[in-house]
Amino acid sequence: MHHGEFKTPGGKLVAVDFDVRNGEFAGVLVHGDFFLYPDDAFEDLAAALEGAPVGEPDDVVAERIRTRLRTGAELLGTSPEGIATAVARALAAGPVNDGGRS
Amino acid sequence: MSERNEILPPAGFAERWASTNWNVIPPIPQQPLMNMALDEVLTERVGRGELGPTIRFWAWSAPCVVLGRFQSVRNEVNEENAAANGIQIVRRISGGGAMFIEPEGAITWSIYAPDSVVSGMSFPESYAALDSWVIRALRGLGVDAWYAPLNDITSANGKIGGAAQARRLGAVLHHTTMAYEMNVPLMLDTLRIGQEKMSDKGTRSADKRVGPLRQQTEMSRDAIISHLWQDLANLAQTTSATLRDEDIAEAERRVVERFGLRSWTHLLP
Repeated sequence: MHHGEFKTPGGKLVAVDFDVRNGEFAGVLVHGDFFLYPDDAFEDLAAALEGAPVGEPDDVVAERIRTRLRTGAELLGTSPEGIATAVARALAAGPVNDGGRS
Repeated sequence: MSERNEILPPAGFAERWASTNWNVIPPIPQQPLMNMALDEVLTERVGRGELGPTIRFWAWSAPCVVLGRFQSVRNEVNEENAAANGIQIVRRISGGGAMFIEPEGAITWSIYAPDSVVSGMSFPESYAALDSWVIRALRGLGVDAWYAPLNDITSANGKIGGAAQARRLGAVLHHTTMAYEMNVPLMLDTLRIGQEKMSDKGTRSADKRVGPLRQQTEMSRDAIISHLWQDLANLAQTTSATLRDEDIAEAERRVVERFGLRSWTHLLP
């Protein structure tokens, strides 16, 4: 499993957990102490990354999230760019032992 | 804290607040799961127009960690230590961060208001607005408090509390917890507080960031709650209210069907 975090200065923390399978994101979890309205839009965050190719530039990853997030949804305390930074950090850190959960 | 990063409610909000008639429900101890479910039930009732704007003061009957809607259990809580210390893990319907709660250590309330109370406001403005009466009440106790974006009640002596909002069916739920007294060793044993979370705080440990109210006022918890209520009544019309039996029954049903299930508490493992 990969794990990365990013706290927007003056804002909130976002974290991502995922595996890399065949060069794609798998089993993605996006979580943190941010706010998102409406709360149903939460599923869009992980869905934006699931199955996407690993290794795209941060701005492409951010755009994937922005495009997938349903119309009218509002993220508070983090942003598509913040999530992309957490993803980049998770990849840079390499796989971590998750106790066999994945 | 070297400088104040303060957010004020929008102009004219005090009049809007004062012209609202608030039902006020006094603190009655509830199990942590019931407190979660009651928030959803009462927000929906206000949204449907069956209940007017309402403020519920909470009381807790057991220690717990309350996770924000979008938080992962393993990232926030040491589950083994929590279980060993008899601390339950529950998840609320609003976003935001984990709270470590001991019944006598926290002062919590919920505001259930029709969207009209916050209409025309950005989300950050609505946070500052719905806690503005508390800032005033704290200043009345001699606490140098202010609201820091996005959702913090803070003071010259450290952070006091935080708020979170959820929106449902034309109503806003805004709930706030203030630290009265903190068992820092037990909190640090229970919560996982990573380095990244502290990265923009300029302090090295979680306990240095907080200024619990007991330390700042030397008042009892009950006396502070009474003061909040009195100050609220001085600013706006208030009516003393109670939970209806059917609200309690509905909340109990939701505890069994959702809030108490692992599929909800561990929604994000």
